[in-house]
Amino acid sequence: MITWFKKYNSILRASIITALEYKANTIVGLFAIFTGLSIEYLIWSMVYESSSNNYSIDGWTFNRLIAYIFLAMIVGQLKSSWATSFEMIMQIRQGFMNQYIVKPISFFSYNLMSFIGSNILFYIPYSILIITVPIIFPNLIFINSIQIPFFILAVIISIYLSYSIYFFMVCFAFWFGEVRSLLAAYNISMFVLAGQIIPLDFFPDSYITIINYTPIPYLIKFPVDIAMSLDVNYYEWINMLCIAFFWCIIMRLLGALIYSIGIKRYEAYGS
Amino acid sequence: MSIKIQNLSKSFKTYEREPGLKGALKSFIKRNYTDFYALQNINLNVENGEILGILGENGAGKTTLIKLMVGLLHPTTGDVSINDYIPWNRKNDFLKMITVVMGQKNQLWWDIPASESFLLNKRIYQIEDKIYNKILNEMVELLDIRHKLNTQVRRLSLGERMKMEIIASLLHRPKIIMLDEPTLGLDVISQSKIREFVQYYNDQYKATFIITSHYMQDIDSMCKRVFVMNKGKGLYDGNFSTLIKKINPTKKLTYTFSEKPNNELLLQISKSFNVNIEQNILIAHLDDSKLNDLLKLLFELSSSTSISIEDLPVEETMRSFFESPESYL
Repeated sequence: MITWFKKYNSILRASIITALEYKANTIVGLFAIFTGLSIEYLIWSMVYESSSNNYSIDGWTFNRLIAYIFLAMIVGQLKSSWATSFEMIMQIRQGFMNQYIVKPISFFSYNLMSFIGSNILFYIPYSILIITVPIIFPNLIFINSIQIPFFILAVIISIYLSYSIYFFMVCFAFWFGEVRSLLAAYNISMFVLAGQIIPLDFFPDSYITIINYTPIPYLIKFPVDIAMSLDVNYYEWINMLCIAFFWCIIMRLLGALIYSIGIKRYEAYGS
Repeated sequence: MSIKIQNLSKSFKTYEREPGLKGALKSFIKRNYTDFYALQNINLNVENGEILGILGENGAGKTTLIKLMVGLLHPTTGDVSINDYIPWNRKNDFLKMITVVMGQKNQLWWDIPASESFLLNKRIYQIEDKIYNKILNEMVELLDIRHKLNTQVRRLSLGERMKMEIIASLLHRPKIIMLDEPTLGLDVISQSKIREFVQYYNDQYKATFIITSHYMQDIDSMCKRVFVMNKGKGLYDGNFSTLIKKINPTKKLTYTFSEKPNNELLLQISKSFNVNIEQNILIAHLDDSKLNDLLKLLFELSSSTSISIEDLPVEETMRSFFESPESYL
């Protein structure tokens, strides 16, 4: 276990060093999230101003909705491994995956650590943002401090689950070569379907019933719900964490299965 | 036995399409796939500590063979066993025993110094600090690259990068080393440094080397034995100098007379041998026995200031071989 940790920790370390190498990109990246948040803020301000009942929409007050969107965007950014997934597809397609296959490392774990390493710097402004949200919007998130560890756990699971889903799709590159459009379609649809830009409460009940049978609610809705809950629901949270963990196992196994079949078709292009 | 390859074949599904937009549209709707055999029925055995050169023109199947040996590809038919491991099962113990350097595909992280990639490999292969430092110091000295250890990889020259690639690949002291075009695009000094390094490493650690190269000088200086491939098939497996002799048994003699030869001598020589004489220098391309006869005659009838006997350039010999390999074997 220690050896495993040392091995993959070194990938994390190298990824952080690489991210620090390009100063301008890192600095712009650190503040990129504020652009999205500002746009959302302006749009919803206009929506609430033009609404006949400008106090609440579907039971959501403006402040509560903005707090939700802030949190959902942060969780969405933290879990978003599409850029790493695009790279993995290129590695399969152009034969750069060779370097992983001939070493005693896992393609899945190597790229997971590389993804976390290259994003770790962004965790700093996001953490600052999460700390400032309760100050700007008091009594809306983290009313009870016990919500914080549950939220962090749910976010970690969300990151792993999201990466496992991406990895599963990436493996189709062994058959089709190029599957970036599949990932792009998934990525865009998740903005809406997972509740990143609008709470799932705004969707019809039938949709909620259907997605409860999928891993989708555990990507964004679940961590944000924990942070915004007005009560402490240990039993419900632990129950949900177990289901989210179950989905992680399912997606990881599916990824491993499709990888083991796909790797036999790998053609290691180029010399 | 280190490497055993039996009846190995590998095919890829390929399709052809007509050029232009029309061809692209046609191909989008319907593709006619065909099987292309990159390797056909290859048999090869390599002993521990041997340096084997794999020769062949572009598309001969050399790199495909290496990819199968390191487990990058699964074969269509046949078996490969490397120290009793099946490469494509990719067992950790097997992966710790082998390494591959491919000219076009590098393992070094582009944006950070090579020393960081070395540290990464140290962890991946679980190399102890003491051993790691010893190996790294030895290799950077041998390849004369210490001063570039902390320079970002993207700022290194091609030769420096290749040296770093070789170091990264050998840090875990692999027993089997595959080098695919290790000197491609390098200047002559870097080429000879790499050749010297391979010989040193082989002598010192008795590691098995499989080397492909288009530079015959690489093969000539590093490999006693070669495996020659053409269109996916094995053509020749044996001693390199024997192959060269088989292809071109002639040698070039340059004989400088101490004084201008008289007409009688010239007549006598040109009667029996095909030679070219200009001023007081004689040049002849002859096989061993004829060369002996000529030299005997020259020693009897003249005196010389210098004599040189050379093999024909290997590059030239192999070029004529690949033009029609069947005629030589």
